[in-house]
Amino acid sequence: MAHQVNGGVLEDTFQHLRACGCGRRECQVLWLSSWDSPQAITKVMHPRHKSHLGGFVLDDQWLSDFWLDLANANMGIRVQVHSHPGEAFHSPTDDAFPIIHKPGFLSLVIPNFGLGPVGFNEAFLAEIQPDGRWQEVAIASRLMLA
Amino acid sequence: MTDHNPSGSEGADHAAEEPIEHLRHAERDLEKALEKEQEARHEVEKAEAEVAEAIQELEHPRHFTVEILYDGVKKKFEVCADERVKALLDKALSAFGPLPNRHTLSLYKGGDELSDSQTLKEAGVKPHDVLLLRPSKVKGGA
Repeated sequence: MAHQVNGGVLEDTFQHLRACGCGRRECQVLWLSSWDSPQAITKVMHPRHKSHLGGFVLDDQWLSDFWLDLANANMGIRVQVHSHPGEAFHSPTDDAFPIIHKPGFLSLVIPNFGLGPVGFNEAFLAEIQPDGRWQEVAIASRLMLA
Repeated sequence: MTDHNPSGSEGADHAAEEPIEHLRHAERDLEKALEKEQEARHEVEKAEAEVAEAIQELEHPRHFTVEILYDGVKKKFEVCADERVKALLDKALSAFGPLPNRHTLSLYKGGDELSDSQTLKEAGVKPHDVLLLRPSKVKGGA
């Protein structure tokens, strides 16, 4: 079943990728939804992180604090979204260090530091399989613009 | 004619033995009292140790519950203070699972990662603590 992503979530996502990355650094945001309605993505979270041209690392203490906030808000992470300098794909680092490890978790990669048009054009979507491996999936099969 | 009256010296001996015998009795009674006192002291020490153990059990119970969070979901776990962090981690991974790549996840208390080889007691885990099941590192890169 596909997640519903409203235009505001996508706009916010590109805004963060552009403002934080400045066309020089990668950036990550997280798409959240309530556990009462997991398919409806309603919130974009911009994690505290360090980044450079070819990568990013989330701040460790921020992650612990965020874990508590998520539970208090009854929300879960459905999709991790990050930018690449050029082409969008899932690198070995992306494969090895996701924020969530459950089968069905999605990772969306946006090309060109998010400086292109807002949308899924040339983006790459991967999904964790039951055996833990990542597999590319068609964006339209998992994310539905509302 | 035979004289059956005790001689004067025998009467004096008998009179002298009475307080000595009395003293022996008193010494035996004292020994018994000291033995009882010793037993009572042991009983008191034993009772004090039991009280201390009960207080310790109240303050640091061996069996208690903790909560673990993963991806915004909270689950309760019954734990034993002597069990290893690794054992609780395995329970959490199964409860929140199926979670592949289990080796990338650890238990955290506050911002600190708990060592798998420690017992919960050694790791400072206390009743009603909220622990985090989270990846040790989150990163990405082209």
